[in-house]
Amino acid sequence: MDSQTCSVKKLHDQIEQTLNNGSLSHPRCRQRATEIFDLVHDVSQGLAGDDHFDSILELAQNLVDEGLTPACRELGEHVAAFVDQHQEEFISHIRTHTCPTGRCPMLTPAPCQMACPAGIDIPSYVTLVGQGKYAEAISVIRRDNPFPWVCGLVCTHPCEFMCVRGRMDKSIAIMDLKGFAAEKAMSAQSYQNPEPGPDNGRKICIIGGGPGGLTAAYYLALRGYRVTVIEALPVAGGMMMVGIPRYRLPREVIDREVAMIESLGVEIRLNTRLGKDVTIESLRSEGFEGFLLAIGAHGSYKLMIPGEDDYEGVIPAVSFLRRVSLGDHRRPGKKVAVVGGGNVAIDAARTCLRLGCERVTILYRRTHDQMPAHHEEVVEAEEEGVSFSYLTIPKQVQGADGRATGIVCVRAELSEPDGSGRRRPVPVEGSEHVIEADVIIPAIGQEIRPQGLEAFEEVDWTRRNTIRVHTVTMQTNQQGVFAVGDAVTGPATVVEAIAGGKKAASAIHRHFEGIAQPALPRVPVRRRRLPHFDLPASLKTDLDRPKMHQLSNDRRRITFQQVHLGFNEQQAHEESKRCLRCDICIRCGRCVEICRDKMGIEALCLGYLDFDTPGPTDLRITAERCIACGACATNCPTGAMQMTDRDGYRELSLCGTVLNRLQLEYCEVCGAVLGPARYHDYIVKRVRDVSPTSNGRRICLECARRQSGGQHAEITPPPR
Amino acid sequence: MSKYYLFQDQKRCIGCMACVAACKSRQALPRGPFPSLVVTIGPRLVGNLPRTAYTFMPCFHCENPWCVAACPTGAMRPRTEDGIVTVDPDLCVGCKTCISACPWGAPQWNPETGKAVKCDYCYERVEAGLEPACVTVCPTKCLYFGTPEEIPEIRRERYARARAQDL
Repeated sequence: MDSQTCSVKKLHDQIEQTLNNGSLSHPRCRQRATEIFDLVHDVSQGLAGDDHFDSILELAQNLVDEGLTPACRELGEHVAAFVDQHQEEFISHIRTHTCPTGRCPMLTPAPCQMACPAGIDIPSYVTLVGQGKYAEAISVIRRDNPFPWVCGLVCTHPCEFMCVRGRMDKSIAIMDLKGFAAEKAMSAQSYQNPEPGPDNGRKICIIGGGPGGLTAAYYLALRGYRVTVIEALPVAGGMMMVGIPRYRLPREVIDREVAMIESLGVEIRLNTRLGKDVTIESLRSEGFEGFLLAIGAHGSYKLMIPGEDDYEGVIPAVSFLRRVSLGDHRRPGKKVAVVGGGNVAIDAARTCLRLGCERVTILYRRTHDQMPAHHEEVVEAEEEGVSFSYLTIPKQVQGADGRATGIVCVRAELSEPDGSGRRRPVPVEGSEHVIEADVIIPAIGQEIRPQGLEAFEEVDWTRRNTIRVHTVTMQTNQQGVFAVGDAVTGPATVVEAIAGGKKAASAIHRHFEGIAQPALPRVPVRRRRLPHFDLPASLKTDLDRPKMHQLSNDRRRITFQQVHLGFNEQQAHEESKRCLRCDICIRCGRCVEICRDKMGIEALCLGYLDFDTPGPTDLRITAERCIACGACATNCPTGAMQMTDRDGYRELSLCGTVLNRLQLEYCEVCGAVLGPARYHDYIVKRVRDVSPTSNGRRICLECARRQSGGQHAEITPPPR
Repeated sequence: MSKYYLFQDQKRCIGCMACVAACKSRQALPRGPFPSLVVTIGPRLVGNLPRTAYTFMPCFHCENPWCVAACPTGAMRPRTEDGIVTVDPDLCVGCKTCISACPWGAPQWNPETGKAVKCDYCYERVEAGLEPACVTVCPTKCLYFGTPEEIPEIRRERYARARAQDL
């Protein structure tokens, strides 16, 4: 499908054209066509229910059967064939209230929602947080992500990179608001599960209790499946639990959210390794019909340098973090060298500091700007005292008496950009030097450990040593065996695993119910359509992204307490009010175009509307120039721009942000509302050359008509 | 000034509003706008008898119209061939300046399309050799449409007849 065409909109326009060109001469035929048009219009406006689809088909069939004129029959046949051909797109419009092409303005999704791998309806929950409805916000999030609290603390938040407010000043703290809502709802005990569907008797076994597996378990349990999760470790949560350190993601957070999933009837068997504690045969004999492999990527890439395997003290980052997470809080050594520039390297380094290591250095072969780790985390690591050695390539591990004593490195410089635009680190000859370290932590990437999966003989593996699945059905080469998470994608993020788990649950359900798998790419679902907050342009501009309080640096260096202390309620409410509500305003720029090019007023300065090359934005300038003619509001395809008369003033607002407010004038005769004085001045100036109108009197058009009608009336005396 | 003229013989008008309805229905207008309207004056007592007058108020298609001067987009234009003042819906952005500028309230607001709408003498019908919709439906035949030269001299004749009775 061409991503720029929307079948619903196309049919909408075709029927409109047929209605307008007069080819439907028969009145009944026109009536039917109008009814079809109204139904298609509903679909494109997000007002349609499930019955709309069948009704459109039925009406089209009526047109064909009645066959009143050839044009009627032709239209009926066309509509029936077209709707049938694009059935999935129509149903998707009806069910998801999303038109990914943006051709149906009311269904155009916000960029943040499109950027979220899990497709969370971000504008809706941000608004609910601002309204103080935390439990509702959580239930909106959990339609797409059963771990709002976890993701509220450690998500990579690609949504914030796409945030339109970021084009104006700073992006909305989308992640932090999610964490805030989850904490509030959990504390108020209003964080609740939705009602699961009736038990359908099917048993599914999920191998691996990480974010991918547990998410699939959650959505399968909601659909009535009996789900059992097999987890090799003594704790549930996978990499969330044993990969992400506690100071970023407290254990209680994972425990509480996993418990919510368990309370839906999901059984989690800990300390159970497939191939050792249970076998596929034993599981099949328990009655499991479907298997979901969600084993994650718990292996580490090796440095492939001499000495790596010869000395004690070389601990891969993933093993190290797992050991610490499972309770081993012994100091690994005094001087630590962590190799790598990703988030795992930073996590390992900061964990070492907290365990009492005296000096922790991160060795990275490129420069600061090229580090894949998040900027904030690098800054926090620096604050805590982690030192960085950039442009440093490890060459050999040195040791004595079986213990590592240091790592030989060479310095590097960046090459000129190659064909792909990347600058490669090139070793500098003769720059060998030794960095002292009794602990060396390689953190250069993770791989999947396939041990235990041998029993799934037909499962196919890719060259990258990940499980090969069909991208839509999530099924492996083996019937009834599905896979998800890092085991499929390679090491990725929590939210990507969650997105995969949700997709797998839906694919498994379709597989067992015999429902056709979707042919079109998945689109996020618009869960709610909430009103916006009303606030003046100056406040909307002045509100700043709040700075989150952090634990003191001393505590950060000695304890595993959570570093980010969260927003307070006022900060969260204000932050949610900064949202530009891109679910309502689709940034088509029609308002700016009309004000500038058609009216010649240039009262709207909304540079942020241009996503790729944003210009200056000044919400306050509108009040100085706008004449309140309302052309922008009239032409807004979604009702984001509104002009209303309230309390004697005419107000222009964009998604609730009041851009202009002018005092109204009233008709001298009947008291009806006229426009504001600035609007009249504009007209008077334009018609000055014709002749003055109404001698400066302010009367409404009704009264103007009545008065001139009276002047022309001939009431004659009756004939004698 | 348009080369056409629409004349109402008020003496024959019974205020049935058929013209108003026909006008709205031809332009398929929703609730609200009346491009032409019959204004009811009275009843007033004239010689102890209640009398009512009905004035038909379409657009006058002025020679130098306020609405055209006010329109910032060039949507409101007099047609070069016959001077009929029309709105081009493709250019109209709905700023309503024409509506506020007209001393007679002729341009009207169509809330469904968000654009101005007005009497255009049904120029498509006129071009096809037909009369405007309002004229066609008038049951008392009080509306006349044509060039100013063609308009019957009703008022003059009536005045002359009344004078004659005085004799």
